[in-house]
Amino acid sequence: MDLRSIIAPRLVAHAHCDIPCGIYDPTAATIAAQTVAKMVEKITGSTGGDDASRNTYIRSVAVKEEHAQICKKELLILWTDYFKPEHLEKYPKLHDTFWKAAKLCSKNKQSVDAKAAADLQAAVKEIADIFWATKK
Amino acid sequence: MRPATALFRVAVAGQSMEPTFRDGDWLLVRRLRRPPRAGELVVAADPREPERLLVKRVRSVAPDGVTIQGDHADPAESTDSRQFGPIPRSAIVGRPVLRYAPLDRIGRVR
Repeated sequence: MDLRSIIAPRLVAHAHCDIPCGIYDPTAATIAAQTVAKMVEKITGSTGGDDASRNTYIRSVAVKEEHAQICKKELLILWTDYFKPEHLEKYPKLHDTFWKAAKLCSKNKQSVDAKAAADLQAAVKEIADIFWATKK
Repeated sequence: MRPATALFRVAVAGQSMEPTFRDGDWLLVRRLRRPPRAGELVVAADPREPERLLVKRVRSVAPDGVTIQGDHADPAESTDSRQFGPIPRSAIVGRPVLRYAPLDRIGRVR
C-alpha cells in the first residue's frame, strides 16, 4: 500500500450544486413563445373552408395551446428553481416579471391575439436577458 | 453519517466552497461537540440524505436551526440552506481544521 492510499480520506464531503450548472436555460421558453406567435399568425391568416384548411386551423389552435403551456412550465422552472433571493436583490422586479409572463401564457391559451403573443415574446426575452446577465 | 473518531479525513467534491476549498482537497476534520458559530466551516449531514456529508460555512445560528451556505460567489454553484432551509444542530458533524493535500496548499483552514 502506498502512502497516498494510506492518507487518502475514505469519506467525501460534498460541496456541490445538485444540478449540473448549465441545465437551466431560457431557450425552451423562448422557442415556445415563438411557436405561440407563429400559430396565432396561422390561425388569423386561415381562410379556406375545405377539410385540409380546417384541419390546419384546428391543429394550429392545439399547438398554440400546447406551447403556451410549455412556455409557462419552462418559466416556472426558472422562477422557482434557478433564481434565488440573491438574484431578487439585484432584480427587484423579478417576481412581477415572471408573474406577468405566466399570466400572458394563460392569455395566449384563452385567446387568438397577436398583441398578447408579442407581449409574451417580449416578456420571455426580458427574463432571458436577466438569466444571461446572472451567468456573467 | 457519523464518523466514530474525534478526528477524521474527508475529500472535498465540488466547487461550492471555492475559493476556500477546491474540488479534490483533502481535509482533516475535528468532531464538533459545542454549538456551531456563525462564520465557521462545518461538515454536516445532508438533511435530505443523512448518509451524505456536506461541507459548507455557517451563516447564522438560530433556535430553529443552523443556516449553512457555500462560499462560491455565484449562488447557482451551491445547494445549501437557500434551498433546503436551516439544518438541525444535530446534523453538524465536525469542523474542518486543516487541509493536508494538495501539498502546495497545505495549512490551517478557516
